[in-house]
Order: sequence, then C-alpha cells, then structure tokens
Amino acid sequence: MLTFSSYFSIEYLIIFLPVSIGAYAVLPQRFRRLSLLASSYLFFWAVSGKLIAYLIFSTLSVHYIGIWLSGIQDSCDRLLESSPKEQRKEIKAQYTAKQRLVVAFALLIHIGTLLILKYTPFFASNINSLFGLLKIPVTLKIPFFLMPVGISFYTLQAVSYVFDVYRRKIRADFNLLRLALFMSFFPQIMEGPICRYSDTAEQLWSAPKIRQQNLTFGTQRILFGLIKKIVIADRLNLLIKNVFAGYENYDGFVIALVAVLYTIQLYMDFSGTMDLALGTGQIFGMRLPENFQRPFFSKTISEFWKRWHITLGAWFKDYIFYPLSMSRPLKKLTSRARKRLGNHFGPLLAGAIALFCVWLCNGLWHGAGWNYIFFGMFHFALILSGNIVEPFAVSITDKLHINRSGFPYRCMQMIRTSVLVCIGELFFRAPGLKAGLAMFRKIFMDFSLASLVDGTIFELGMDKYDFIIIFISLIGIFFVSVLQERNISLREKISRKNIVIRLGVYYALILFLVIFGAYGRGYVPVDPIYAGF
Amino acid sequence: MIYVKKIFIILAFFLGLAVMLMGLSFVFMPKNNMSEFGMEEVSANGILGEKENTIDVLVLGDSESYSSISPMEIWKDTGYTTYVCGTSAQPLNYTVTMLYRAFEKQTPKIVILETNTIYREVTKSSALKTKIANYFSIFQYHDRWKSLGWHDFIGKTNFTWTDDYKGYRYNSSIAPSTKKDHMRGTAVIAKIPELNIRYVEEIKSFCDENGAKLLLLSAPSTANWNYSRHNGIQNLADEIGCEYIDLNLMNDKLKIDWNTDTHDKGDHLNHSGAVKVTRYISEFLSETELLTDHRTDAEYAKWNNSLKNYESVVGKS
Repeated sequence: MLTFSSYFSIEYLIIFLPVSIGAYAVLPQRFRRLSLLASSYLFFWAVSGKLIAYLIFSTLSVHYIGIWLSGIQDSCDRLLESSPKEQRKEIKAQYTAKQRLVVAFALLIHIGTLLILKYTPFFASNINSLFGLLKIPVTLKIPFFLMPVGISFYTLQAVSYVFDVYRRKIRADFNLLRLALFMSFFPQIMEGPICRYSDTAEQLWSAPKIRQQNLTFGTQRILFGLIKKIVIADRLNLLIKNVFAGYENYDGFVIALVAVLYTIQLYMDFSGTMDLALGTGQIFGMRLPENFQRPFFSKTISEFWKRWHITLGAWFKDYIFYPLSMSRPLKKLTSRARKRLGNHFGPLLAGAIALFCVWLCNGLWHGAGWNYIFFGMFHFALILSGNIVEPFAVSITDKLHINRSGFPYRCMQMIRTSVLVCIGELFFRAPGLKAGLAMFRKIFMDFSLASLVDGTIFELGMDKYDFIIIFISLIGIFFVSVLQERNISLREKISRKNIVIRLGVYYALILFLVIFGAYGRGYVPVDPIYAGF
Repeated sequence: MIYVKKIFIILAFFLGLAVMLMGLSFVFMPKNNMSEFGMEEVSANGILGEKENTIDVLVLGDSESYSSISPMEIWKDTGYTTYVCGTSAQPLNYTVTMLYRAFEKQTPKIVILETNTIYREVTKSSALKTKIANYFSIFQYHDRWKSLGWHDFIGKTNFTWTDDYKGYRYNSSIAPSTKKDHMRGTAVIAKIPELNIRYVEEIKSFCDENGAKLLLLSAPSTANWNYSRHNGIQNLADEIGCEYIDLNLMNDKLKIDWNTDTHDKGDHLNHSGAVKVTRYISEFLSETELLTDHRTDAEYAKWNNSLKNYESVVGKS
C-alpha cells in the first residue's frame, strides 16, 4: 500500500501523481470524475490511513445538512407563496430560526470536532495552569488525539458550504459524489487553497479533458513549486532549526537574520505547495483559487493579508467578519459611534470588535498555543492601528510634500510591511511565547555583527555556498514575481518559443532541482508547515 | 500522426533527461573513495580500493556488524580476508547496494549478513530513492556541487584507498549493560516487514548466483536483540534455506561479559567483545573449509602491513 506524508514525497511525485493523471487521461468523461474521486480518497488514505473516517463523516454530514436546509427552504418558499402578505414576515422568521438551528448543529459537528481534536490539550493544560495559580488541587488529564491531515482546511470548506446553502448563495447538492469530490480533491486537501463550492464543485465534476497547454503550464508550475520548497525552504531549514532550538546561544543579528529567513522559508514552503496544488489542478483543467499574490510587495499589513493565504482571509471575511459587523448589536454600535466619533473613527469601533474576533480565530486556526494567539493579536493591532493612523499619515505626508504614489515611498512601505511580518513570524515559529519575547528582546539588547565579521555565521548549519544558492534562487523568484506583478505571463512567453527553448527550460528547471535541492544525506526536509495547522 | 509526433517528443525528452542525468552522475561521482573526494561511508567503501578478487568474506549490516567483527583478527588467526561493508543504521536497501558494489571487483565466497538490519524499517520512499540513485548517482552525490573541480569533469575514477581496519570501527570504552537475560525464551515471533523479506531473498539469490554462501548472523546485543527476533530470523533462514547463527544464544562459548564488553550499555560490543565474537567467526570460517590461508601469499602482503597498523592502535591480544 502506498503511503506518503506530503506532496513532495517521491512516491507522490513519481508514482501517485503520474498514475492519477494517466488514469484520468485515458478514461472517458463519465468515468474521469470517478477516477478523480478515487484518486482523492486513495491519497487521503495514503496520508491519513484510518483517519479517513473523519473525512467520510464530514462529507456525509455536510451532505445531509445541505439537503435538510434545502428542505426547510423549499417548505418556507411554498408556504410563503400560499400565505397572505401580512403573515409572510412571521413565517420567514420562523423558518430562519429553524435554519439557524440546523446551521448551529452543523457548526457543532464540524467546528466541534476540530475544537476537540486540535484544542482540547491546549485548553486542558491552560485550565491546569489556572488551577495551579489558584492553588486548586485538581489536575485534568491532557488528552492526545490523532488528527487527520488537512482537517483545518476541509472543515472550513464544509462550513462554507453549509453557510452558502443557508444564505441561498448555492443550492444544496443532492449528488453525494460531487460533494465528496469537492471536499476531498487531492491536490488541495492537505494545505488548501480553501475552495468554495460555487467556484470549484462544478468544474471538478465536469472533469474536462486534459489539454496540452494545461499539461505543460501545470507541469511548469509544479517544477517551480518544487524549487521553492526543495531548494530554498528545505535548505534554509539547516540554519533555522538550529537557531530556534538553541536561541539562547545566538546574538541579536543571528536572531534577526533567522526571523527573515524563517519568513522566507514559510513563504517558499507554503507558496511552493500552492504551486503544486494549482499546477496539478491545472493539469486536470481545474482553476483553483490563488492563495498568494506576491505578498512582499504589500504596502500595508492589510494589503499583505489580501495577498497571503488569500482563501483563508476571504473565508474569515465572509463567514466571521461580515456576519459580525452586520449583526444588529454592532450595527447599533456603529451608528452610535458615528454620531460621537465621526465618520472615520465611528465605524472603526464596531469594525475593531469584528476584526478582533477574526484575528483571534486566525491565530487559533494556525495552532493551539499562546504564541499563535499572540501572532493573531499582533496582526490585529497592526491592522487596527494602520486604520486609525491612516488619516494622520496622509495629512503629514501631504504637508511634507511627499509623493505617496512615488517609488521611494512605496518601497519604504513595502520594507516596513515586510519587517513587521518578519517580527510576527518570529513569534509564530518560536517555541512558545516566552521564547518569542526573549528572541525579540535579543535583537535589540544583544545585537552584534561579530558572527558576520568572523564568518561563524556560516558554521551554524548553512555554509556560504548554501547562502549563495538561496540568494540566486530568490533573485530568480523575485524576477518572476516582478513580471507577474506587471501581468506578464512568463509561461505564455515561453510557450511561444520554439521547442528547443521550451525543452531547455524544462531541463534547466529539473537539473537545477536535482543538483541544488536540499535532499538526501544530511538534509531533513521540512514537514509541510501548513499541513500541521 | 500528431499523436506519434507527441509520443516521439515525450520519449526524446525523457531520453535526453536520462542522458543528462548520466552525464551529471559521471561528473558528480567521487573520483576516488576518500572523504576528501566526497565519498560517503568511506570505511565501508574502502573495499573499492582493495585489489581485485582478494576478499574472501564480505560482512554487511548496520552498526552491529562493524562493532562486532574485526577482519584483522580473522586475518591474524586464519589468513582469510574479510571486509565489513556495514554502515550506521544501514537499511536493507543500502545493504543490497553495498553487496552489488562489493561484487563488482570481488568474489567473496561467504557473505555474512548481520540480522539487526533485517528489523530496520525500509520505507518505500527510501527504497525507491536508493533504486534511482543506483542508476543515477547524481541523486546521491548532488551535494558535491560545492566542491567540484576540473578533475571531476575530465578525470577518470580511480579508487585507491582502503581501510587498515577493513571496515571495523574500533572502540575500547566501557559502559556496562544493565539489562539481564535479554534472551529469555518465548514462542513469540517478531514480524519482519514484507519488503525486508524480499530484500533478504534478493541477497540470497544474488549470493547463490555468484557462488557465495550466505550466513545470517546475530551479533550479541542486549539492547537490540531478543528471543522473538531470534525466532523471526530463524523462520526466515529456514524459509530461504540459509544458515543462521545467533551469537546471543552462545554465550557459554563466547563468554561475553556485559560489564566489560560493551561501550554503550549493551547496544554494541566494544573491542574486547568484538575480539571474542571474531574469534568464534574465525573458527566457523575455518570449519567451512571454503577458504584459503593467504598469510604467506605475496599478493596479500598489504594485509600484513594493515595488521601492523591495526595492532599499533588496538595492541596485540
């Protein structure tokens, strides 16, 4: 039986993926969708084994709940049609209440399962600490649960499906297999992107024929993702794991450097995985939503989160931020605050409450730990303060005659945003909040360039050649990103060249990966970082 | 016609890739078997520097093999040439690689496989990687890009180095074992992974094809060995038809003293334990009557030099 732990394992890349594509390519249309579903379940079985039961349960329950909601909506519609106008409001309210109960039940099942599996140990250990502080002689047993890979991703897809049916944005799907394919599509189930039923279910089910352009573009994107992960992220791990494990032994310069390198590693790991997911999807003719849009070109933290893990941000916006800010109490608060604080600061108050909830959930979604909560609160504080000071910043720059749309100012904004992101990621990766604070303090209190001057920086896991190859790779990726930012498609440009150049590009990418990849003896590949969330 | 053209392009692409990988494998393959040339596992790969067809006994396995068998002791006692191609945590896929590599220039009459490796899990991923690396060594030595020189592009491969200890790793420190009676009898049979059984079968048939006798040998270890593992290996040996010796059950002969003969609390033997094991193996090899004493053969003069170097470190016992 095939088993593997990530999209980067050799069995996946040279056995599972080609066989899945091959099977899909040779089958007639009506069987292609089934082959995709079979591949997806086989993949999940290979990654999670018996824990596939969670996915099956989730799919069955979400299917049933969708039909249940649809039944209520149909009864409501029928009754509304046959009822006099004056009764309609009451009927609507009755049926909305019923639907809300069903949605609450769905949340209880899906979010409840996630909470139990992922957060019980965290809550239990915190309750124990609290008991300790209050000198209550009770100690809760800290449970440990095995979690299926990707539960945080497919649960959000399941919840979005239920909400969309409830909001009548989509009709409930009576076809269990189509819904199962939407929930389990193998290139994205481990680390996203978090798809919406309305965007992907139908295109997955339509199972289009594999086209040559999709095959070549998809393969190129997969190779690009492999380089990001295997050449850069895995090589950076040599230094990062050492410094984070023994941060007490390193000075502020090393800590600052590693904070930057970890941010790069996280980006390369996650966006590389997305390249694999989207590239694979493209081979099958599917357009999965983009999860990254050159986030380090962002001028503000708000913009950064519109470019980084886009589908998660959009999910929080649609299913937490908007429902909260549109809720009756917050609407009331906004109108009252608007009167007292004016049109800029008034709406900010209610927005801040919704934003706080979003970032608390965002922090917790990434992991059950205080450092993740801190990470969420850090970004909440940055976004909120950005919104508050925006009018002042505009007026100051106007007074100083600084051109806000000029390149130097934009460049400064991008650097500032990247620095803030790196600080956040330092806490994100640190082994606990205390360690994160200690590391952050060291950057300022224990800063020294001694390791750079005497060359010991090259003895901490990565030698000068490792740094050089990472630098070269990053330059290449930066070049591609600049082109993408200008809406220039490098892949289309290459596809217009003659076959020798096209093949040359493939060979160059493959050989670059083979020679400079951080694999084999002496290297420990990074576990897919986002698959653990 | 379009399909034929497409298939041709795909085939040509993969053929081109294979040629490039072969070319790179040539460049990246260490041109000598010393660590300065980028060779990995140098002591085990020292066999590549031995004169052609001069090795009588090949030992394979993980750290138990190179901690328990000292070829120089065998040479001193019997005049048989032995080389230990054991490496740390050697999985069976790598054992097979070492076996094939050793037989490229040697024709050992006896192959000893230390059995601890048979219980090491071989993941399908690592089995696949080893297989690929056997065809294209670039995958094994790709990291040598940091130290490539002109010689790597144009030079010929010439393995010149060999280990005076012939793969044995000397350790004389003592850390007594606290585990008592690690071979308490049981009918339980420790399961050997299916893939590992296939590897051992492959080793057996390769030995048969090359006229070598395969011996399964369990070196003394209180930390790694027990009776259920003994049962598992005994069953396997019976199934594939090869001899099996469990030295853990022969302490009346070996006289391993777990207070003085181990350097890491019973995990591995130290030199004094290795000498006891090797003495037994020398006797066993003599009894097979398959091998010739080369001590006076001028062709093997270098072995006597190695013995002198070896004894200058370990002392004469």
